Amino acid sequence: MSNVLRPYLAAVRSTLTAALTLENFSSQVVERHNKPEVEVGGSKEVLLNPLIISRNENERVLIEPSINSIRVSIKIKQADEIERILCHKFTRFMMQRAENFIVLRRKPVPGYDISFLITNTHSETMLKHKIVDFIIQFMEDVDKEISEMKLSLNARARIVAEQYLTAIAT
Amino acid sequence: MEVNFRKIDIDAFDEEVLRESDLYEEDPRGPAQALDEAKQKQTAVRSSLARNDIVGALSLVLDNPPYGPHVEEAKNISLQTLLTILNTTKSTEITNVVKSLSPDAQDTLMKYLYKGMGMPGWGDISGSVLLGWHEKLTEVAGTGCIVRTMTDRRTV
Repeated sequence: MSNVLRPYLAAVRSTLTAALTLENFSSQVVERHNKPEVEVGGSKEVLLNPLIISRNENERVLIEPSINSIRVSIKIKQADEIERILCHKFTRFMMQRAENFIVLRRKPVPGYDISFLITNTHSETMLKHKIVDFIIQFMEDVDKEISEMKLSLNARARIVAEQYLTAIAT
Repeated sequence: MEVNFRKIDIDAFDEEVLRESDLYEEDPRGPAQALDEAKQKQTAVRSSLARNDIVGALSLVLDNPPYGPHVEEAKNISLQTLLTILNTTKSTEITNVVKSLSPDAQDTLMKYLYKGMGMPGWGDISGSVLLGWHEKLTEVAGTGCIVRTMTDRRTV
């Protein structure tokens, strides 16, 4: 892990660890319903203060805790147009397969690129520190993945252009 | 047929409905008084910083901070004051400074750190400085400090 990224991820890790204290909580409005309160947003007393961790204007994480669920939204670094397109396609690809990732949300929160919704069921069936590790791992890898894709895209474009232009030259 | 009545949130008209004001005690100081105090603190902090007394300056600004919805100006000045302190502290000194703060002051500092990170590009906020402080503070005060930031309704 690069040295500049480390404090950012450490802050996200400690905040996630603090926020992942979830318990079973039935709906206060409808009997026999059990919904993630952070998504319903119906009652103020079960929602906690949302926290934002930011590295700069383009990279930030929003953590919205509540009594039985937390929502983690990530804004991925996008330096130029190509990265923006790649990031959009990449997150879209994953969000269409959200059920395979279990904690992934199908739509990102406005202003962010990808969101995770962790409910008390997840924290009961899975190990808490592994969930935190997963999110941190994801944040580490997504930057790497996108810059790799950008590089291979550029290399491909160069080869294509070369082939095309040799055809014209001869 | 009129169907708009279905969209009315009838829970809001309940007698026992929970209001924002029921969750916490409001700041006893009015907006004007809070602003005055914040300005006084700002000058006091400047003189402390001139004497190189970082712990004194920090505990001054973290003691009894303005909170609640009506004191935006005082909050902004307090944040600005705090950021000048954070930016002038050397990164090697942070751990000792944080250790010498009282637990309440540590919680308030954590609140300000998150507030600062929530508004990048505002004033002279630098993400890496705040992240450095956050890391040191978490080392000293533990995750409990973050939990108190999340649960305390008296947002700074």
